[in-house]
Amino acid sequence: MTLESDRSGVFLAMPATVYVGLLVAAPLGVLVMYSFWTQTYVDIDRTFTWENYRAAFSDPLVRQLLVRSVWMAGLVTLLTVLLAYPIAYFVAFRARRKMLWLLLITIPFWISYLLRVFAWKLILGFNGLLNSGLASLGLINEPLDFLLYNELAVIITLAHAWAPFAILPIYVSLQKIDRSLLEAATDLGCGKLGRFLRVTLPLTVPGIIASCLIIFIPTVGDYVTPALVGGSDGKMVANLIQVYFGSANNWPLGATLSLMTMVSVGAVAISFVALVRGAGKAIR
Amino acid sequence: MTGNTIIELIDVEKHFRSFVALSNFSLDLKEGEFFSLVGPSGCGKTTALRIIAGFQEPTSGVIRIGGQDMRAIPANRRPTNMVFQSYAIFPHLNVADNVGFGLAKSGLSRAERKQRIGEALEMVALDGLQRRNAHELSGGQRQRVALARALVMRPKVLLLDEPLSALDKNMRESMQFELRRLQQSIGITFVMVTHDQYEAMTMSDRIGVMFDGRLEQVDAPSALYAFPANPKVASFIGGMNFLPATLLNERNATLSIEIAGLGSLDIGMNPGVTRHERDLLVGLRPEQLYIGRDAPTDYDVTAQGTVTDIAFYGESVRYHVQINGVPEPVSVSVPNYFHTVDFKRGDAVWIAAQGASVIDLGTRSDNEPTKQERKV
Repeated sequence: MTLESDRSGVFLAMPATVYVGLLVAAPLGVLVMYSFWTQTYVDIDRTFTWENYRAAFSDPLVRQLLVRSVWMAGLVTLLTVLLAYPIAYFVAFRARRKMLWLLLITIPFWISYLLRVFAWKLILGFNGLLNSGLASLGLINEPLDFLLYNELAVIITLAHAWAPFAILPIYVSLQKIDRSLLEAATDLGCGKLGRFLRVTLPLTVPGIIASCLIIFIPTVGDYVTPALVGGSDGKMVANLIQVYFGSANNWPLGATLSLMTMVSVGAVAISFVALVRGAGKAIR
Repeated sequence: MTGNTIIELIDVEKHFRSFVALSNFSLDLKEGEFFSLVGPSGCGKTTALRIIAGFQEPTSGVIRIGGQDMRAIPANRRPTNMVFQSYAIFPHLNVADNVGFGLAKSGLSRAERKQRIGEALEMVALDGLQRRNAHELSGGQRQRVALARALVMRPKVLLLDEPLSALDKNMRESMQFELRRLQQSIGITFVMVTHDQYEAMTMSDRIGVMFDGRLEQVDAPSALYAFPANPKVASFIGGMNFLPATLLNERNATLSIEIAGLGSLDIGMNPGVTRHERDLLVGLRPEQLYIGRDAPTDYDVTAQGTVTDIAFYGESVRYHVQINGVPEPVSVSVPNYFHTVDFKRGDAVWIAAQGASVIDLGTRSDNEPTKQERKV
């Protein structure tokens, strides 16, 4: 019985194992190997060296881009979750037609990511929707130039693109809350704010953590958005990695940067979860 | 028990769109009594409780607690606390923090709160489990935590919404006694909602019986049992045989009647019902009927019949007996006393009744029992 279920378990896991092995583990292994090799013009010198890591660590541009990527992804995460929470709260507690609202929230996914980024370009641009709108209302005399091609544009675009990913986990955790817990809190003397802070918020921490990780991890490595709306000071580490794998033709250094980014993201994510868990325990 | 009025509900109505959940609902609850609202599911009893707690606004009517009008007072500032059906234990807090939840804004010091939490837990026999997490508690323990969490607030009225329905049978029976004992020792008013009439009878000083949003009768359990106001109440509180009868004579508090198929006898008049025709409806409790192989001599009416159905309950056995001239089989319940009762289907038996155990339910056409109520 046990043996048979073990066997069928292995059998069921086979396709996923093969898939993940070929598309995640193998490329990662190649990446690790490359990071210890050296690019000599058109050839690869396959002798083991720490040189790439030394070069990357000592390059101020790498450090600056890495810090900025983590910082911007952090801002995007914070902004998105702050905006998503009230929406999720509304759908979970106030909305009559929950399915309709959830459908509406996923509408941005119905068009390609690239098109959405371009849409923001049209909205935020020098002669864009926002500027011409404000101008025709007589609120501004000349177009605002701080809207596009900077960190702000990247943050706005990413926050919009990732909003549904933040809303859904928070919605699920709100939806799961037994309504009688909220009535119990009221019964025991809590006002609306006290009830939110002492019952609703603590019970949605898992949803908030999930939202943060789902947004933070991919946005650190995003390169389409900064490339299209980021200008020169909105560039992120992924743009540099792309240059090394592309026009600069230095795969070993690109691989090194990729791995450094991965490790940084992992470290930040793990310390974030530990921090939230610890804070939750301390409050009790 | 004979204290002052603590809760007054006057002409309370609650409508959900076109559905009437409570209609013309008036009730006075006394300080220190154990009051139960019983009725089938959907009869509005939980709505009544939630209106007292402040979770629902009445469509119209007045609610006073301790003489104070409650209509402008939200649930979080009412002098009531509730034990929820699901217990609603906060899953992210341990036992002590659950019980102390409502004391946060009480102005008590940490030490005083700890003391109060300890006292409340001692009351429900959970002292020492302060640090236990919510998910480590058994069903019975969760119920006790919910109870302690409400009692620690020292409410004027404790509201209990089906407090025992989530427990298994043995636990439920021991908790019935314990809840009753707790209520008597702390002396505050308990208002309990339950669909279980036996639970209500064993625990309560008074019971309110509800059907379809209406309060049909409010009385002590024994009075409800002896003098039900109508067939609905009669069949909900205990089992009941409904039989048609004819009024022969009426003097003082005694009615002379003839029960078709059984014969004529004198019964006591039920003050809660009206008689304006000769066609009456009477009720006979299954456990107050005689059943035997021989005809008894000292009963008011006797008749011969045939056993058509047998149901074994363990502590009692219930027989359905078809009697000539009686429209439907009569249900008779006999204590399983040393296994001496043992009739088989098809056995010829004698059935007998005393006038004292026949319940006058008034004019038959006023309250013809429905098919469901006939089932005993």
